[in-house]
Amino acid sequence: MSMKPDAKVVLEVKDLKTYFKTDAGVVKAVDGVSFSVREGETIGIVGESGSGKSVTNLSVMRLIPSPPGKIVGGEVLFEGKDILKLTEKQMRSYRGNKISMIFQDPMTSLNPFLKISTQMIETIQLHEKDVSKQEALERSIEMLKLVGIPSAEKRIQSYPHQFSGGMRQRVMIAMALSCNAEVLVADEPTTALDVTIQAQILELIQKLSAQMGTAVILITHDLGVVAGMCDQVCVMYAGRIVEKASTDELYARPSHPYTEGLIKSVPRMDTSKKGDRLFSIEGQPPNVIDLPPCCPFHPRCNRAMDVCRSVYPPVKNIGNGHEVACWLHVEEQERAQALANDKQEEKA
Amino acid sequence: MFFTRNKKKNAALNEFDQVVEGNSLSKDAWKRLRKNKAAVVGMVIVIVYSLLAAFAMFLPIYPYDQIILDHQHLRPSLTKTAGDLMMENKLKDLYFKAWRAGTLVVTDAQSKQIETWIADNETNNVWDFCYTEGQKQLAAGTFTFSDADQRTIDRLQEKINTEFLIEVDKMYYTDPDTGKTKNIARMDFEQIKQIYADYLGVDVAVIAQQSDQEIRNQVLNKVKAATPGLSTEEYEANLELELQSMGDKGIATLGKSNMLVSIKTAISRSIERGLKQEIKDGTAKFPVNRTVVVNEKISAAITADLKHTRHYYLGTDYSGRDMLSRIIYGGQVSIAIGLVGTITSVLIGIVLGAIAGYAGGKIDFFLMRLVDIMYGLPYMLLVIIFMAIFGRNIMNLFVALAIVSWLTVARMVRGQVMSLKNSEYVEAARSMGASTWRIIFRHMVPNSLSVIIVYSTLRVPAFIMQESFLSFLGLGVQAPYASWGSLVGDAVNGMTLYPWKLIFPALAMTIFLFAMNFFGDGLRDAFDPQSKNQL
Amino acid sequence: MSTNKIPLLEVKDLKQHFPITSGSILQKQVGAIRAVDGISFDVYPGETLGIVGESGCGKSTTVRSISQLYKPTSGTVKFNGVDLVKADHRTMLKARRDIQMIFQDPYASLDPRMTVRSIIAEPMVIYNNRKLLEKPMSSIEIERRVEELMERVGLNKAFKNRYPHEFSGGQRQRIGIARALALNPKIILADEPVSALDVSIQSQILNLLSDLQKEFGLTYIFIAHDLAVIQHISTRVAVMYLGKIVEVSEAVQLYDNPLHPYTIALLSAAPIPDPQIERERKRIILTGDVPSPDKERNGCYFYDRCPKKMPWCSCHIPPMFKMNDKQEVACWLYDQTDHSKTTMEEAQADAAKVQN
Repeated sequence: MSMKPDAKVVLEVKDLKTYFKTDAGVVKAVDGVSFSVREGETIGIVGESGSGKSVTNLSVMRLIPSPPGKIVGGEVLFEGKDILKLTEKQMRSYRGNKISMIFQDPMTSLNPFLKISTQMIETIQLHEKDVSKQEALERSIEMLKLVGIPSAEKRIQSYPHQFSGGMRQRVMIAMALSCNAEVLVADEPTTALDVTIQAQILELIQKLSAQMGTAVILITHDLGVVAGMCDQVCVMYAGRIVEKASTDELYARPSHPYTEGLIKSVPRMDTSKKGDRLFSIEGQPPNVIDLPPCCPFHPRCNRAMDVCRSVYPPVKNIGNGHEVACWLHVEEQERAQALANDKQEEKA
Repeated sequence: MFFTRNKKKNAALNEFDQVVEGNSLSKDAWKRLRKNKAAVVGMVIVIVYSLLAAFAMFLPIYPYDQIILDHQHLRPSLTKTAGDLMMENKLKDLYFKAWRAGTLVVTDAQSKQIETWIADNETNNVWDFCYTEGQKQLAAGTFTFSDADQRTIDRLQEKINTEFLIEVDKMYYTDPDTGKTKNIARMDFEQIKQIYADYLGVDVAVIAQQSDQEIRNQVLNKVKAATPGLSTEEYEANLELELQSMGDKGIATLGKSNMLVSIKTAISRSIERGLKQEIKDGTAKFPVNRTVVVNEKISAAITADLKHTRHYYLGTDYSGRDMLSRIIYGGQVSIAIGLVGTITSVLIGIVLGAIAGYAGGKIDFFLMRLVDIMYGLPYMLLVIIFMAIFGRNIMNLFVALAIVSWLTVARMVRGQVMSLKNSEYVEAARSMGASTWRIIFRHMVPNSLSVIIVYSTLRVPAFIMQESFLSFLGLGVQAPYASWGSLVGDAVNGMTLYPWKLIFPALAMTIFLFAMNFFGDGLRDAFDPQSKNQL
Repeated sequence: MSTNKIPLLEVKDLKQHFPITSGSILQKQVGAIRAVDGISFDVYPGETLGIVGESGCGKSTTVRSISQLYKPTSGTVKFNGVDLVKADHRTMLKARRDIQMIFQDPYASLDPRMTVRSIIAEPMVIYNNRKLLEKPMSSIEIERRVEELMERVGLNKAFKNRYPHEFSGGQRQRIGIARALALNPKIILADEPVSALDVSIQSQILNLLSDLQKEFGLTYIFIAHDLAVIQHISTRVAVMYLGKIVEVSEAVQLYDNPLHPYTIALLSAAPIPDPQIERERKRIILTGDVPSPDKERNGCYFYDRCPKKMPWCSCHIPPMFKMNDKQEVACWLYDQTDHSKTTMEEAQADAAKVQN
């Protein structure tokens, strides 16, 4: 849980842009996203559906369906090397090997016709050519034991449908970690699971990450999960990161009106009283097709200014590594300047 | 007015002041369909065909059932008239006979070539060669026809120049007492009888008796055709029964139409005589389109044209009928069978499938076993047996095809309904107290409609193929009606001699089936949400 | 809730078993999924009863059995004194007017081929056609009512001719709510109405639901798996596990003083959006998964996973112990007699004796 400022940066995403071409127009699903993950650190990406959090990570894995999707700009540096420039063949040796992914629905990512043993051995042998089948099997069983599957020797010979949802997710985690991946991308790993199972899985991920020094990118919409799991949090809205800070800092001092509203609008068991009205952000999440260059949150923001309606705010560091993209944290002078520039451009 | 404008303004903008357009699922599908070029071309072709078939009777084409024996098997030509082609055929024959007789001299090699053609049964080559060679030699003066041949040619030429067709469009009767003119077809049976008797100069009673006899014969023939193998007495009894059931009114209608035909024939004969005289005098100008006074009481509006100046762009068949109009009218029948058959089978399928899927349990079990059994039977055989039992006409063909082809639709709809049965919106409807019928026909069927529409469009070609197959076997539509299948079937005899009879209907059918398949494919892609590249 | 009130809805020993059959024509029942296995509770006018539990615990089946979407296997459901299980078709239809549902998935619960107007108007049209309304509505009245409802739930009435797929999840759920309100029901059964929604939308819908409750005096049965949501909206909470209610309590009591080991585990597993509290919390992590509800049990349903299980629990089904005015719990820990010292043999012998 503690910050690890000295650990080396494993993965760095710089100004990533992924667009989708649809009949209705260009969808800027991810529009200039930057973040980095250190060894052993857990970073949370929070956002509502359609905010681009999943697309961000599919882009990192280079798993964007193309067409219609395309990574149009930016860099993804894995240990200093831009993996967006790799060939598909080279990329395959990164996927699973260096960067692993677990999905929301474990059933769709396991082959229902193959035994768990076959799938796990295949994964290991795909990445490490010199491992024998027997060795791979032993390692698989070991991994299954690690993720807490009882009588792993027997269960490994079962088919995916013979496992329950929570067990399947454990198998997925075991597979993802069996190749000693350095980065684990977990895309809503517990959304389909029950609370008690969710707690089990989250604890497991936390424990393994600490044990193996794996960096974890956790995508979720649940602010509670983030609070318990992550060292750093990025809040996404309409394809961009609007706020980025350490978890403690973010919850203590939410600085973007969206983050603030989001935290306030979740009912809390411990403090909220029956009969209180919940705080709520009015309006709907925007449809990201052909967004104008304004702040996409301004129609729902109760502190929107003129400048918000025409120019996207710059990212400002407000101390403690706390970054926020909101005009509220920009000097008055700069705001006026931006508004004037925009007006001039419009005229031209 | 203010209200509507205000509403529009509200609806058009989102929170970013961008215009939001309304969009329904069908609109969306149409948008996607328009992008698919093959499907659009297919759709246009299908529409053109359907329009041609629907408005065939208004098109400037020759009647599809008019038999002109002189025009048997004329080849398709864009420029030459029927007369030219008749002459060409005659000349081919004469040149060939001349070659046989030795008057048309060709080299030995050419002779040998002709012999091999004859041995190989490639008659067209022989004729074409003889014709070109003959024409060349005739022009060069190295060949002349014998006197007998020349006479034949002259006679044919004369025939071509003078023969004409008369069509009596309307007949009028002028009452000598009041001076009023009436359309004869609009008068009642008794009056028409009187007019015909006057025209022939005989007593009305004679005409009435003739007419009665004619009707009896017609009805008797009908009875005989319907139930063959009875004794004469039985037929007599049946005849009386039949006449009784027709009633006075029915008999009068039949008698009137008989009488009108008789009058028409009589009048056109008399007009024909007149026209022939005009031709002899050289005063006739074709096409004729005028009202002729037959006598002081009767006049007629007629059209007449030279018989052999017709153009047959797609050739003619074995009884001299225009192939172009037969293909168009054949299309009418084929497309109608495709559409009606599909609609009936889809309706049966929807109802049974929806019931099976929604009711489930035993009903489902028995309906689906019925479907399985029907699937197991050779369905073409079923159709053939059905046609054999109930008689060969278009109606029976529709019914026979429809009752064997609802199976797949029923299965499909059942599957759809079963998957929709557990959907939340159906549950919602049930929790609101909606009746079973409402749930099936308001919620489930509309939501399966896209699948059904796609299937139906792909089903139409199959129906046309089946009909063609039956017609090809001689079980489909009967002469003088035509369908693409029966045209192809008729053309198979003498396919090497008269290839156009086969090629054009087959081509028409192929193009339509192609278009329909492309259109159906396009529709499937358009309705399939999977192909929608949305986030 | 105060006891002198007459309950609006009384559920007694409700069981909903789904038969597992084999064979195609001569179907033979080979077992049953015991989705709801004997639950009883009362709902009083104006309150919100929250039902919470993990997936497969039978909470959705419960509301569907109450609204008679599934015919209950046994038990009674009395609404305003009328037993819905035995009611004839017409009585049921009349009762249905007062019992409406809101569904979980706003994408699946609206017919994609109908416009918003016809979706909201549907209950009115159905009841109008069946002549079950107090006074018949003309189409203009229905139209006006649709517009009124749309405005009440916060939808722009200009959008009434649009199709559901043109709306976002939150707006669709509003359409579903408007449809449920159309007939002025007394009680609304809400089956996870916010669990498919985004966080920022979830609070909008929760606020809307509480506003509507105040305005129209509605009674809710509210299902959710999210404890925080349940605690926020409910007056009383029933916790379900494997087709049984294990604890009923006032919402505040539940968090402050949970009694059943399952409730305690559930509460400790639910994350709280505050990193400081999260770090200090002690989690009780349950082992294993929810067992399949297809076999008959003669012990506590939670026995397999219970951290405080005793031999006694393996063969005695706990009854509801009334702890005080506000809390009832089905756990042997709260029995008058102490069972912790009983050995397995003694317990089994006792169970056998009771059976004979």
